[in-house]
Amino acid sequence: MEIFNQLLLGFATAATPVNLLWCFVGCALGTAIGVLPGIGPAVAVAMLLPITAKVEATASMIFFAGIYYGAMYGGSTTSILLNTPGETASMVTAMEGNRMAKSGRAGAALATAAIGSFVAGTIATVMVTLFAPIVAELAVKLGPPEYFMLMLLAFTTVSAVLGKSTVRGLTALFVGLAAGLVGLDQISGQARYTGGVPELLDGVEIVLVAVGLFAVAEAMYAVLYEGRVVESQNKMSRVHMTGRDWRRSWPAWLRGTAIGAPFGCIPAGGTEIPTFLSYATEKKLAKEDDKAEFGSAGAIEGVAGPEAANNATVTAAMIPLLTLGIPTSNTTAILLGAFQNYGIQPGPQLFTSSSALVWALIASLYIGNVMLLVLNLPLVGLWVKLLKIPKPYLYAGILIFATVGVYGMRQSAFDLFLLYGIGVLGVVMRRFDFPTAPVVVGMILGPLAEAQLRNAMSIGEGSAMVFLQRPVSVILIVVVLAVLILPRLAKSWSARRLAA
Amino acid sequence: MTQQSFSNAQLRMQKLVGAGVVLLALGLAAGAISIPSAAGYGGAGPNFLPWVVSLALLVCGVFIVWEAMSGGFRSLDEPGGAVHGDWAGFAWVSAGLLANAALITTIGFIFSCTLCFVLAVQGLRGAEGKADRRPVAWLKDVLIGLAISAPVYWMFTKFLAINLPGLTSTGWL
Repeated sequence: MEIFNQLLLGFATAATPVNLLWCFVGCALGTAIGVLPGIGPAVAVAMLLPITAKVEATASMIFFAGIYYGAMYGGSTTSILLNTPGETASMVTAMEGNRMAKSGRAGAALATAAIGSFVAGTIATVMVTLFAPIVAELAVKLGPPEYFMLMLLAFTTVSAVLGKSTVRGLTALFVGLAAGLVGLDQISGQARYTGGVPELLDGVEIVLVAVGLFAVAEAMYAVLYEGRVVESQNKMSRVHMTGRDWRRSWPAWLRGTAIGAPFGCIPAGGTEIPTFLSYATEKKLAKEDDKAEFGSAGAIEGVAGPEAANNATVTAAMIPLLTLGIPTSNTTAILLGAFQNYGIQPGPQLFTSSSALVWALIASLYIGNVMLLVLNLPLVGLWVKLLKIPKPYLYAGILIFATVGVYGMRQSAFDLFLLYGIGVLGVVMRRFDFPTAPVVVGMILGPLAEAQLRNAMSIGEGSAMVFLQRPVSVILIVVVLAVLILPRLAKSWSARRLAA
Repeated sequence: MTQQSFSNAQLRMQKLVGAGVVLLALGLAAGAISIPSAAGYGGAGPNFLPWVVSLALLVCGVFIVWEAMSGGFRSLDEPGGAVHGDWAGFAWVSAGLLANAALITTIGFIFSCTLCFVLAVQGLRGAEGKADRRPVAWLKDVLIGLAISAPVYWMFTKFLAINLPGLTSTGWL
């Protein structure tokens, strides 16, 4: 009952006209950003981080959460209507969504994506409401050794498991950790890697790295390699679902949610695995006529399931972020940065120390989902017009916004030169297939993990044995090892079976 | 697992990338030497993580070079887009970004960003093979650039009260 009361209080805060307005602007902006190719939610939140200097914490977190969700809704529109694969999260949607659009059912695909996102988002928000306080209560009992191991788990999954190549994932992770080292050491106050440049004493801003890697690198990549790529757009049709569409979509939404939500909860982010799993499940479960549509005319389950799984994962990812302070994706890493700008460290204490903020944020997730459904179903035709913006104007415009975000953060022209360098790094990484999420997660989680490690060592009086003397820590070590070893064993085992 | 085949130029670039990682690792290690090790109560001082990161990057870099020397990167996603980069277009975009960084404090946010916008549009349009250098086109780009950067500037300085450099101190230009 206590949860219910706090949620009501949260609604009272989130539903003030000013906060509703922030939520609405966030959702609308997020949808626009999701529709536009070239920028995703992470970079959009990053570019707007300077507002944390002036806007009050609750309002800006509601705003950022709106962008985060809005971009998910908008992203599916692009992946259904444009014949170019966008970000990984919507790639699975694109497979069937594109085929449906080609056979004149773009409207139905868009509708099932939007409604499915709403259903999954709402169910997952209920989960956040119910489980986050419980997880927070349990997490209070964790000490530095356990925290360090949790962060190690997040590092391992984001770098070594999700990508194609372990060595390239790890390289990206360590580059991020190296970027996080620049500046004053949190514990001893020792300056590291500043090279005498005063601007570097404060460290490298996360905004700078995110905007450089995603926005500037995207523009550079577009001019270098994608000038001649011709995009074709599918024809819109009326946004409408038939009775048969509904009957096929419902179970797929629920299954997608059931698959996606657990993946968001564990500190092992990424939406690739759950969306793919959901797609495979739907394909397997489909019968006769419906099954024949997979890969030919486009099956509606293949859009409904993965979209629901995507949104459920993304929403449930708020649980580790809010209760443990562990981000599992680019966007949640940047949201963590936003909290830090207010001097708030997400973690188990958040639910007691900033309970008004947390509950207002959770309440705004419910409100945001309703707003997004309204924004996306009847108004989808409006968003589609954004796809008509010529590419040169789009990318050059992104550069202006990149400047605002980076310069507005620290008022330093030095940062703009650094931004250029990071943009070039981003192009190289993209060209040679290095994942970027480990850089951002490593950079923002690195200093926290280092502090936990050193605190843990202090508890153990200088001995690393402390990690083996505590049961939860040992379990986490086993999980990390399992995550590293099991997929490899499975791979070599299946390879051997194929050879035999 | 299937191994792709790469051209010699591609392999050379891959080796360069690996060498870059090794260089970065060595640079970090060189920096780590000068960080004091005072560990206090714990066993790990401020120089502990720098050393871990340097060594790990060194291992990764050597491994990448080894991959490049023995047939190329493993399980590489085919990069999207053209095989050869449009370096002229890239030069335009670079000029825009660097001019912006160099001039923003002197000519102010609006003009500096407009300049960046115009130069970047030139590069991007050239890359599409639709270069348009007529004065009318330039003028149109300048106007669009102003129409984006001026409202952004006003929104930040007037509405959010965040400092962005101006040509004057009025907050309007």
